[in-house]
Amino acid sequence: MAAQDRTAEGIGDGIDPVLLGIINNNFVNICREMGITMTRTAFSPIFNEGLDFSCVLFDRHGNMIGQAEFCPAQLAASLFIVRWTVEELGVDSFEPGDVVLHNDPYRGGAHIPEHSVIRPVFHGGELWGFVANVGHLAEIGGKAVGSFAADATEVFQEGLRIPPVKIVSRDENNLDLWRLIMANHRTPRNTWGDLNAQIGSLRVAERRLLELLDRYGAEFVSQAAEELMDYSERWMRAEIAAIPDGSYEFTDWMEDDGVVDEPVKFHVTVTIDGDRMIVDWTGSSPQVRGPINATYGVTSGAVYNAVFHVTDSSIPKNSGAYRPIHIIAPPGTVTNVVYPGPSVGGNTETHPKLVDMVTGALAPVMRDRVAAAEGASACNFLFGGVHPKTGDYYANYHLEGCGWGAKDYDDGNDCTIVVNGNCRNTPVEIFETRYPLETVEYSLIADSGGAGRHRGGLGTRRIMRVGAGAEVTASALFDRTKGEFRAWGLEGGLPGGYGAILVKRNGDTEFRTFPEVYGTVSASKFTNILLKEGDEIMLDAPGGGGFGDPLERDRDAVARDVAEGIVSPEAARDVYGWDG
Amino acid sequence: MTTVGHWEPIVTQIWDTVITPCDCCGQVVAKRLWVVDVDGEEHRFCSTRCEELYRTHVVPQRRAETAT
Repeated sequence: MAAQDRTAEGIGDGIDPVLLGIINNNFVNICREMGITMTRTAFSPIFNEGLDFSCVLFDRHGNMIGQAEFCPAQLAASLFIVRWTVEELGVDSFEPGDVVLHNDPYRGGAHIPEHSVIRPVFHGGELWGFVANVGHLAEIGGKAVGSFAADATEVFQEGLRIPPVKIVSRDENNLDLWRLIMANHRTPRNTWGDLNAQIGSLRVAERRLLELLDRYGAEFVSQAAEELMDYSERWMRAEIAAIPDGSYEFTDWMEDDGVVDEPVKFHVTVTIDGDRMIVDWTGSSPQVRGPINATYGVTSGAVYNAVFHVTDSSIPKNSGAYRPIHIIAPPGTVTNVVYPGPSVGGNTETHPKLVDMVTGALAPVMRDRVAAAEGASACNFLFGGVHPKTGDYYANYHLEGCGWGAKDYDDGNDCTIVVNGNCRNTPVEIFETRYPLETVEYSLIADSGGAGRHRGGLGTRRIMRVGAGAEVTASALFDRTKGEFRAWGLEGGLPGGYGAILVKRNGDTEFRTFPEVYGTVSASKFTNILLKEGDEIMLDAPGGGGFGDPLERDRDAVARDVAEGIVSPEAARDVYGWDG
Repeated sequence: MTTVGHWEPIVTQIWDTVITPCDCCGQVVAKRLWVVDVDGEEHRFCSTRCEELYRTHVVPQRRAETAT
């Protein structure tokens, strides 16, 4: 059934479908305008270049009624964050002009760097709903510059944890709280600018929402939001009901947790029971010491992310779409961290693997909709120090794009940020104008895409050199760098290429691993390594898995890959059987 | 599906940081738990929706696992 047919048929015992569509588009566009405000006013590249934030609308009961094309992980976590905040503080505690701040990973959050700001919207003196912005602050204190401690064993090492508190009361900043927060961050000016950008986006959303309520009436817009949620629920139930009933299982691994050099197991059982889906993570490893544990918000977000990838993309994204999806994540496991376990890497390294596992479990019954595994590492590279030219302290959080998995109908995407992020990487120009890092090379890695009838996407290589007079304190949290932990293929497709983070010290002739040079426990996860002038660092992002037998790949496609340097002549001959 | 149960408030001190998870889904619960007896055992859920999931999915699944 075509999307338009569903729309016409599915909407509408009450409000005219066209008008419902207009209301829904208003909700979406309010979120988009919040995003534009954010990118134009934030101080840090993670927001105005990386887009690591999400803007969302809620009704007064804490139901999500609108979102736009932001980070899937944050969008899902916001469901829990806002509801938690409203329940904990009490709905009656909100007053016009308030803004509540919250980054607690045990209260629905995805990981501690992500700070949510939530503002109530009053219309005619009555609370109508909430507008929210979830953003990843690039530096929030803790043991590592950039607040991504890959060897953290407790949340206290990961940064300043903030339960729901009013940072703005009736449009007056709570400056004592601001001072306390900024005293614990390494780059407080950026914190001031970035949090104010988030708060500013809420004011824009409030203004637009009030215009909508004035135009159509608060009661009518509430009714429309309810009908849209019911419509999304019906549509999602129909999508799930079309999947054959049964239980489908999948197991995957992470190479280590950053603290103990042992693989970590993840297991999922996806049950289709009529028009409901139950995703049960029982059987996954107990919570680990290192920070790759996922919060409940992360695990739920990964499930929703996966489901949205294999169902109709036209379903309006609101709380109704989530209702038929049930998630079981046993507390105290790697899929549901309990206090005071660390979790900063769960949102970047674990989330994409969980997404792939859900789609991998469904692959036998949804082969035309799923993809092979993606690189599934955000290739988190954190760095900071005093800039030799300005004398100012700087810190940055950088993500690298990896290869995505191939599908039955197409090759995987090259150089794309992990599936949970929808973010962008930091351009070379930003590195070189704001930080003392010179880019030596930025390229696609030949043969990193898993071979197959359709090829996995390619990972990237970035080599950077520490500039004159500079010292850079660096941390990293990668995965898929060794052993059998590469991105898996489907239906005979081969795994994607390895990721890596290597260093060549000034005067050395070759790159080596961090355990070799600095004695770190993990080759892919480490904290606070001091790099000096002339040292070079190489970031290799993993490639995606292939789909189908490589020998069945179209010969013209192989020839084109060879001509473009995407596949080496040797791999073309040995893996693809190409004799051109 | 919901049987007789009751909502029980979660009373915390200001210094309390341990958060109560739902017996079914594992989700953290902010203010109140749905307390209900299932097969002679008291369970604490985040919602009546989770009680239903527990009765219609978790319990039958465990029975099946025990049987095998």
